[in-house]
Amino acid sequence: MSIALYRLDDRLIHGQVVVGWGKPLNVGFIVLVDDAVRASAWEQELYRMGVPPEIEVVFASTEEALQRLAEWERDPRVGILVAGDIDTLAALTANSHRVSRVNVGGLHHRPGRSERLRYVYLSDAEAAQLKTLAARGVEVTAQDVPTAAPVPLKDFT
Amino acid sequence: MSLELQLLLLAWGTLVGLDLVSVPQAMIARPLVAGPIAGAMLGDVATGLQLGVLFELFQYDILPMGATRYPEYGPATVAAVSAAHAATGTLGLGLGALVGLITAMAGGLSLHALRQLNTRAVRRAAAALEAGDPRVLERLHAAGILRDAVRAAVVTAFGLLLAQVVRAYLAGALPPHGVALLNVAAVGAALAAGTAGTLRLVGRGPSLRWFAAGVVGGTVVAWLR
Amino acid sequence: MSPPLTRARPGLVRSLLRLFTVQGSWNYERMQGLGIGVAEEPLLRNLRAEVGDDGVAYRAAVARGAHFFNAHPYLCGLAVGAAARAEHDGVPPEQVERLRTALCGPLGSLGDRLVWAGWLPLTSGLALIAVALGLGLRAIVAFVVVYNVGHVALRWWALRAGWRYGAQVAQALREPLLQRATALSAPAMALVVGAALPLVAQYLSSAFFGWARVALAGVVAGGFGLLWWQRARLTGVRLGLALLAVAALAGWLWP
Repeated sequence: MSIALYRLDDRLIHGQVVVGWGKPLNVGFIVLVDDAVRASAWEQELYRMGVPPEIEVVFASTEEALQRLAEWERDPRVGILVAGDIDTLAALTANSHRVSRVNVGGLHHRPGRSERLRYVYLSDAEAAQLKTLAARGVEVTAQDVPTAAPVPLKDFT
Repeated sequence: MSLELQLLLLAWGTLVGLDLVSVPQAMIARPLVAGPIAGAMLGDVATGLQLGVLFELFQYDILPMGATRYPEYGPATVAAVSAAHAATGTLGLGLGALVGLITAMAGGLSLHALRQLNTRAVRRAAAALEAGDPRVLERLHAAGILRDAVRAAVVTAFGLLLAQVVRAYLAGALPPHGVALLNVAAVGAALAAGTAGTLRLVGRGPSLRWFAAGVVGGTVVAWLR
Repeated sequence: MSPPLTRARPGLVRSLLRLFTVQGSWNYERMQGLGIGVAEEPLLRNLRAEVGDDGVAYRAAVARGAHFFNAHPYLCGLAVGAAARAEHDGVPPEQVERLRTALCGPLGSLGDRLVWAGWLPLTSGLALIAVALGLGLRAIVAFVVVYNVGHVALRWWALRAGWRYGAQVAQALREPLLQRATALSAPAMALVVGAALPLVAQYLSSAFFGWARVALAGVVAGGFGLLWWQRARLTGVRLGLALLAVAALAGWLWP
């Protein structure tokens, strides 16, 4: 079944991921790719607390994710991969042809970013990064929950 | 309907609208509460209960998460009860649903507008907020609550006005089988929305079996009654 | 850190009351941030007393408190309590920010599962069944009371647990009762709402007869199919309005 969703979301694993996408997709595992969280035991503990016991949570650094991507794609369960920033997800697509679709689920306000959609704030550099991804053949759309219509990249950059 | 009653409904709808997001989220915003209480105000609990149940089903279609936009069913149910009240009994379900659904959409739009106003206010006060000025913070927050109260009142007033219009121009104009068709459409849509929304929450995991068991159990009880 | 604890009680009550308004200034930029800051402020007042500091620590903490935040409203207290406690414990600012950020996701997910997908539809489903069985207004009153006993208890527990554990707040989430309630709420909700649907269908269609019942079954099946397969485009409210428009047209054309 492999990874059904490659998601960009700065809140990483939250209700939209576990309930919103997790329930209808019947998700069996969630991969959280974030170098800082990978290095922090208490943060990992927190994220695991928000997820029901039947869903496995895998914490990976960008480096580890690159190595294990093929393994996750072969997994018989349905999975979601979440990263909090564009750099991380871009690194995963740079060395692999497996990631063909990226879901922009939530990037929120930060100094330097401007509003693109209600749940997507991007700096110009970040918008350019997403366009580069798209130019490489990755389908980039914004969609916070499955019941919302996906927004194509050109409509929010 | 007397002006006093209209004002009472307006006050109730405002409280209900404020409850949904702002204060205190005690779920009087649920149609199942908003409707019957509005019915009780009109001395027509039966209509209130029916529309409360109808819109509670529509409410199951919604998950209030993050920045997602969704219709607002609380004040809408109050307006729906007002519209259905004059039509007496089950005959008002369809008309109530019409008024309620339109008001619910307006409510959803107004929530988005409110959030944009709040966003603008926050941006303007960014410097004072970064300086940690507690008075600016509290004033911004209180202004947000006040804005939401005004919003809830406006949405309710719109719904009540729509109810008056529908009662005056539509209620008598429809032939009996037209009314019946409207009722079928309203109840059918509500049941479809309620079922789809619940199944999205239940998912395809182990809970699905519990859901199926519930449906079988409920059907048996309904059959035996 | 005994001084803040002994003087914390009035602060905690004030903070709890403010937490009932936590989403009052919800906006797209900071989401619940302002509400969190307002609720945290009473717990930070002790910081003003720090000698030779002139309220700098207090103001910095208030500013941090109002930064971006979003989680389940009923569980926000955990973040408010934990962040305030961490400020008192002298945790470095970057760590406090990190803690707040790390709490958004888990508290959102836990609360959405426990309340939005559990306790709320569970109690509402029970009330629907009670109304369908003819209990009337009593069912509504019972729903409001029972639901809010859980609601207020959860808010109060969250704030106190956050304040108690501070940066070690993950320990509070390990609370067995909370984990068991979250795990049980999903199947319980599914069972109850599943049972409510046929009973409510009967209740709402009690005045329908003959062709209307057949038509209702068709509309429900068709409407459900449309909602399920077109989930990204069609919502309940749009389906309802479309069906009403079709019904009005058909009723008008019917000789």
